[in-house]
Amino acid sequence: MVGGHQPPTVSRARRQFRPYLLSIPATVVLIGILYPFALGVYYTFLNYSATNPAPKFVGLQNYIYVFTDAAFWNSARVTVTFAIAATLLETVLGIGIALLLNRSSLIGKIFEKVLILPLMIAPVIAAVMWKLMFNPQFGVLNYMFGLGSTFDFLNADRALWSVVLVDAWIYTPFVAILVLAGVRSLPKEPFEASAVDGANWFYVFRRLMLPMMWPYILVAVIFRFMDCLKIFDIIYVLTSGGPGDATKSMQVGAYIQSVLNFNYSMGSTYMFLLWIIIYVVANQLVKLLNKAQARAAGSEG
Amino acid sequence: MAKELMPGQKRVTTGGILGDLALVGWFAFSLFPVLWMFLLALKTPAEQTTTFFQFSPTLDNFITVLTDRGRTLTGVDFKSAILLSVLNCAGAVLVSLVIGIPAAYAAGRFKFKGSDSLMFNILSFRFAPELMVIIPVFVIFNRIGLFDTPVGMIWVLQLVTMPLVVWILRSYFQDMPEELEQAALLDGYTRKRAFLMVALPLVRPGIAASALLSFIFAWNNYMFPLILTNAGSITVTITKFLGGGGQAYYNLTAAAGVLGALPPFILALTIQRYLVQGLSFGAVKG
Amino acid sequence: MGTLSVRGITKKYGSLTAIDHLDFDVHDGEFFVILGPSGAGKTTTLKSVAGLVDMEEGSVAVNGIDLTMVEPYHRNIAMAFESYALYPNKTVRQNLASPLKSGRTGHYSADEIEQRILTVTKTLGIDQLLDRFPREVSNGQRQRTALGRVLIRPADIYLLDEPLSHLDAKLRATMRAELKAIAQNSNTTTIYVTHDYQEALALADRIAVLRHGKFVQIGTPVEIWREPIDSFVAKSLGQPEINLIDAVVANGRITALAGAIDIPKPDGLSEGKVRLGLRPSELVPGVQVPGHVQIKGTVRISERLGRDIELEVSVGDGHLIVVTDSSKAVAERDDVVLSIDVPQIHVFAGGDPGQDTARLGSAQQISPVTKEVEQ
Repeated sequence: MVGGHQPPTVSRARRQFRPYLLSIPATVVLIGILYPFALGVYYTFLNYSATNPAPKFVGLQNYIYVFTDAAFWNSARVTVTFAIAATLLETVLGIGIALLLNRSSLIGKIFEKVLILPLMIAPVIAAVMWKLMFNPQFGVLNYMFGLGSTFDFLNADRALWSVVLVDAWIYTPFVAILVLAGVRSLPKEPFEASAVDGANWFYVFRRLMLPMMWPYILVAVIFRFMDCLKIFDIIYVLTSGGPGDATKSMQVGAYIQSVLNFNYSMGSTYMFLLWIIIYVVANQLVKLLNKAQARAAGSEG
Repeated sequence: MAKELMPGQKRVTTGGILGDLALVGWFAFSLFPVLWMFLLALKTPAEQTTTFFQFSPTLDNFITVLTDRGRTLTGVDFKSAILLSVLNCAGAVLVSLVIGIPAAYAAGRFKFKGSDSLMFNILSFRFAPELMVIIPVFVIFNRIGLFDTPVGMIWVLQLVTMPLVVWILRSYFQDMPEELEQAALLDGYTRKRAFLMVALPLVRPGIAASALLSFIFAWNNYMFPLILTNAGSITVTITKFLGGGGQAYYNLTAAAGVLGALPPFILALTIQRYLVQGLSFGAVKG
Repeated sequence: MGTLSVRGITKKYGSLTAIDHLDFDVHDGEFFVILGPSGAGKTTTLKSVAGLVDMEEGSVAVNGIDLTMVEPYHRNIAMAFESYALYPNKTVRQNLASPLKSGRTGHYSADEIEQRILTVTKTLGIDQLLDRFPREVSNGQRQRTALGRVLIRPADIYLLDEPLSHLDAKLRATMRAELKAIAQNSNTTTIYVTHDYQEALALADRIAVLRHGKFVQIGTPVEIWREPIDSFVAKSLGQPEINLIDAVVANGRITALAGAIDIPKPDGLSEGKVRLGLRPSELVPGVQVPGHVQIKGTVRISERLGRDIELEVSVGDGHLIVVTDSSKAVAERDDVVLSIDVPQIHVFAGGDPGQDTARLGSAQQISPVTKEVEQ
């Protein structure tokens, strides 16, 4: 009212539209990603491939084929086995490392700086490195452990576990730094009280620390398990899904189907089923996380 | 008495030593492959498969992979791959920032219908199996000529960079008191100026952290360039030194690996303070 | 300089109504204080005037111009936030200069800005902090900086949200005097929000008492002090709180505290239960003033509060709190006679404990019509 006349007005509708305006570009990107996703779902009902560029609608035929195909069930088994084993190993190791680093010994302080090194190296580079180390003839592991040149880390029996090992090498630090952040955010008082009471270490860990740390651990578990279900890079570099089908995870299988064999519909069917698995598992884990967060908030407050 | 009474603290003698040993064990396991990559990168072609720890180190391999010498020798153009990766990743991060900052601000600052579902859908990029989107994108790109182009790569890399930028920054905007901007409005600044003057400087650490972190993940991505380009990227090109079927250059692979791993690690060190919040998409505050 | 008129403003947060159809006018140059407990809707009221919240209903006009749909930066209204809202990345000097540099509060040369900063910071006693960042100064200094950022600029209306709450007692008294002087000298229109009745009484031209998002009473400090509209307002002013005691009106007399109070009922007061309100400072121990009501009791607790003494006096089957100066000190367990002027005995309608009831008048005279809140 400098000047004393009516200043410009902004209607309520325009005010309320403001956040939408800011979200428009992101929504466009979202649609740009959701459109191919929807297209992929559509593919699962076609017999679309590079050799059949004019696909026909085939209904549920792809699903029926996939569900009766041993190769699919094998890849589902490989995927779930890998995901559970890797997540479990990484979680246990990650919690252990976090607790050890939390004691803030000198060694811990030095190591903490390089903890994330494997995590920041591209999984592909890590896998390439491990592939060289796993080589039976001139790999350094066989040499160091005196395994001779006949022991093969990547044979049909061991390949999946070697992949788990490499995954744990890369991603255990991920679990560790999340849990470490959790441990460091815990209130000090209950632990001081229990130390005064003379409670033993394990009791304190199980009764006090674990419930309060659960939310942090669960966040790490959710990220790891989801990522493990769609494992691709490491396996593709280490074994390309072999030997045979020993390490053919669902995403590797879908890659072979759709990119190498140009069967887009089959690859999409694999992926849509994997997407459903991930969606269901994620839902359950997030529910668990919400409960744990509520409980942890209760035990702190 | 003990300063910090966290579990384990009391047993400075036995438990402490065992704990330190366990840590040393882990870090031996954790650092050995990296060390081994360095050693391999310093070996001559003659030594690459014959020696383990005794050899005459040379920096030749780094020079080879970065110059035309490597291209003539192996047919792999690593230098171009680096440049392409830098271009694609920086482009993807830039696009994500330009598009993501307003969205993150809207979601963090206003309560509006659809904001939760927008945020959730953006996050689901992160957890969806990539091929579900990439197979159709591969078909589309071939049809509309985006195959093997930076524009195409920057577009699909949004799957990697966008959720990080939006989610990390949303938690920053949520943590920032609204009254700071309100004070600026009453000082006579328009909403845009209030945002630029007050909000943006305060979330600068978040912008830096999310930008660097999403750059790292875009840089480390393998599947997108593998499927959607011929020219490749740093990750795809490194595997080419292994020579699918032809001559394998292990020492060059290692040298390229070191060069490819260095930028993410250096970037990660600069944002170490914000790493936890970033890696968990704001779910865990570091 | 500005006249503010607010009509029917309403703001809801979900199912909670923060402010509920508030109407008020603030005149040009007036110092208007909104008094209320925390959660009453004081800050929401200020932010609605400033245009910082989207109101569900109502209008805000300054100098007759409707500002309801006008952006905050076009309103020429200044506000000091209780949270300070200082820009953490700017120094005290830069914070203070901010409103002068936006171009919407006038145009200032660098010299003018520096001059204004010096003047206002001297007044507020923060002139030695200019190059510090907000995180490097104390809460009290932050609060004064926030106040400075408002006082440094011209505005039609100044909104001050608990601007003295984080200062220590002595500084608060000084700043209160300072604010009063500024308001009087510059004839600015100010809305001042506080939960401190002393600030309200000391500063206000008019006080509006806010409860649960509604104004209970608006009036001058004297009106509000003398004729609180109900027991809530009476309790809001005065520390210790007004004594509220149940009484019975029967046979032409008001009796309370087991007969320790027994006075003739004023005309117009019907028989039944009422409550009497006696302010601790109006009860005078020891001095028997002719014509005043005498109340006999025994001192249970005597507590020295600086210059004043607070007594808890057992009277009949209850007790009364009395505040007096130390010249009238009475030892614990001593008998005492309290006297109070009849018009100073407030009569409220009867009600359950904890329930606020309307004031009917004084023991001298019942108000002809219970005044409605002017809304």
